[in-house]
Amino acid sequence: MTRIGIKLLVAGAILTGAVGYLGFAGAKSGWVYYLEVDKYVADASFAPQRVRLHGKVSTEQFSVNKAGLAANFDLHGHSRQVAVAYHGAIPDMFEPGRDVVVEGKMHDGVFVADVLMTKCASKYEGKPENAGVPATQPESKP
Amino acid sequence: MIELLGNLSLAFSLLLAAATLAATVGGAKFESVRLLTAARVLLVMFTLLIVGASATLLAAFLNNDFNIEYVAHYSERALPFGYKLAAFWAGQEGSLLLWALVLAIMSSIAVLVRRGQTPGEDAGFIGTLTIVNGFFAALMLFAANPFKLIDEVPLDGRGLNPMLQDPNMVAHPPLLFLGYAGFTVPFAIMVGALVAGRRDNAWLGDTRRWTIVSWLFLSIGIILGAQWAYLELGWGGYWAWDPVENASLLPWLTGTALLHSIMVQQTRGMFKVWNAALFALTFILCIFGTYLTRSGIIQSVHAFGESAIGTFFLAMLIVVTLASIILIIVRRNVLQSEEKLESLAGREALFLATNVLLVLMTAITLIGTIFPVISRLIASQEVTVGPSFYNKVVAPLGMLLAAMMAMGPMLVYGADAGKKLLKSAILPVTLATVVLVVAYTRNFRDAWSLSAMAVVAVAGTAIVQELLKATLLRAKEHRENLVLAFVKLLDSSHRRYGGQIVHVGVIMMVVGIIGSSVFGAKETYTLKPGDTASIRDHTVKYIDIHEKRMANYTAVDATVEVTLPDGKVSTLHPQRRFYDKAEDANSEVAIESTLKSDVYLMLAGWENGGTVAAIQVIINPLVSWIWIGGIVLTIGALICLTPKFIPVKHAELVKKTSPKHNAASARRQVGPAM
Repeated sequence: MTRIGIKLLVAGAILTGAVGYLGFAGAKSGWVYYLEVDKYVADASFAPQRVRLHGKVSTEQFSVNKAGLAANFDLHGHSRQVAVAYHGAIPDMFEPGRDVVVEGKMHDGVFVADVLMTKCASKYEGKPENAGVPATQPESKP
Repeated sequence: MIELLGNLSLAFSLLLAAATLAATVGGAKFESVRLLTAARVLLVMFTLLIVGASATLLAAFLNNDFNIEYVAHYSERALPFGYKLAAFWAGQEGSLLLWALVLAIMSSIAVLVRRGQTPGEDAGFIGTLTIVNGFFAALMLFAANPFKLIDEVPLDGRGLNPMLQDPNMVAHPPLLFLGYAGFTVPFAIMVGALVAGRRDNAWLGDTRRWTIVSWLFLSIGIILGAQWAYLELGWGGYWAWDPVENASLLPWLTGTALLHSIMVQQTRGMFKVWNAALFALTFILCIFGTYLTRSGIIQSVHAFGESAIGTFFLAMLIVVTLASIILIIVRRNVLQSEEKLESLAGREALFLATNVLLVLMTAITLIGTIFPVISRLIASQEVTVGPSFYNKVVAPLGMLLAAMMAMGPMLVYGADAGKKLLKSAILPVTLATVVLVVAYTRNFRDAWSLSAMAVVAVAGTAIVQELLKATLLRAKEHRENLVLAFVKLLDSSHRRYGGQIVHVGVIMMVVGIIGSSVFGAKETYTLKPGDTASIRDHTVKYIDIHEKRMANYTAVDATVEVTLPDGKVSTLHPQRRFYDKAEDANSEVAIESTLKSDVYLMLAGWENGGTVAAIQVIINPLVSWIWIGGIVLTIGALICLTPKFIPVKHAELVKKTSPKHNAASARRQVGPAM
């Protein structure tokens, strides 16, 4: 093997090692389980971890304070539910009955979330059930 | 009626694609130039039909023809004209038609402009383009028909999603599609050359222009998309490593690698297998991105709905990948390198290194994007990797890449490149060291910002130093005054200096990205009228809230006074808009933008008619440099594409085109930069 060849091999090995390490460290720090509410509630081992939860926003247990940037609501799965306390800007499409994804951690029996994403099938595709219905306006207007 | 016209156009276009393919195969079999000419004409006719189908859909939009489901779903009578145009590509079917249209037009231009060396090469080239074009026609006819009729005709359409009612959104998708579609052409040229078994590298010249054009469209498309996210999504960022964004980044990364490595093949006859693979990979990633976002296999904040077209794209993906691999293996003998790598400090080695980095970035981004799928398969438990994964892995590689880019102007081809590099690096490295020391004493401790400063210092000095040296040399050799020598120097190689301008643009973007992500601040304040809040030497004063009625929405409009650090006061109006046809309110942010930083206001909420308002204030330092860098990048790429402005004298021309002189000068001087 030529000298250049050896040098290339060494450089390649270093690069692969570095990227491998970065990848491992990056995956570890960015690693977030994506779970349905039922599975999360059923398995206690998820409680100490930061996870992403998918569920439906309760139509009964629901309070939102837009100016105070907080929302407290129950997140429903198929048979179980979890209480969520969210802090941050309230997304425009957030409302009871909506499918949402929250990211956060369990704290004293309440799921404290700092990420709240409303999940419609798509922002681009229309929602057939609302065709032609005039817009409902969830906020108080001045 | 109009749907019939559209469907007939699509159906006949598919027939024409089949006829074109038949003519191409015949042309190859009988080595008939006439059959290949027929194939070219047929492909142009195919294009006319796709143009017809597109015009039909456009007419349906302009006429508010709500018989057509697509029109009813994405338009409404009150929609302003410009957005009716944009509604064309607001949904799946329309955007596929747009892609098909752009692809057909580009393919027609390509087959009319380009003649291969042999009928076999032409057949491979035209055949590949025809198959991809036919695929889109079939897709629209069988899986995503834009002319589908609606069951019950509504009086008015549902309207365009408010988030898409933005000038950037009008331009962003077509530009991306121009990029995606454009990369089909260099791929087809490569297939033709390999089918014909060409051993020379001249065909690469034909791919270069197409590659630059497609790369430029893709770049502008991505930047506009980022700007749209910044202006419209309201969280103050421009890139979230969302699957949809990643999907457009993947072919951009391999396309960038390709742009650089084809130059090494052109000048040195090296990296041939690598290049062939990159042509294929870039094209495949364009298709893959669409598969990813349309098939529903990945959940994204803004993916399209699930649909049958995923299967079509998957089939296409498998066919193209397998065919490319087989083609490269079969033709491995014509893909042998003509020269060996002589130095690790030369231009070839650096191009190789940038290529490796870009491909690594592609691989990591790809793995991160499909991580939910991988984890579902392996652990039956879905795991996503968030932005911190990409920031930890892709960003350092990106910074390394920027550092290499900064070194670019100092590199030469050949065996003694190392010595020359050491010599020309003295000044840039010294200056960078000075900058770092000064920054450190002024309390900059963050590794990202320090690296960015070093990169800027090295890049700036290297470019100026190289320009000065070359200008002086030229002035001496040609006995020209310095100004004339400088202008003629720049004009002598648009490719080299255009490329350097692109690099300057990219470095500006790096500065903007680092500045805004390292030094940004974000705070939300709950304020009463007259209350003020301070953030990073900026003062924000909430005045009041009013309601405004516009064409198709009502806006709740807050008045906020912002005092910048230099004392300048400006009044901003962040809004919350209630569109008539949308059930949800939509934020319209207000931004005061300067070269130093952006003040970004979002009306997060209010109560009791505005006696209290929550205003999110984001300070985004240097973010304008991302957009300015984008403009500079575009100018640079356009310069790369233009021929010389000053005509070269005959005598010089003869000297230049003599191959011996060319090769020697390429080695003695420095090769093209981009």
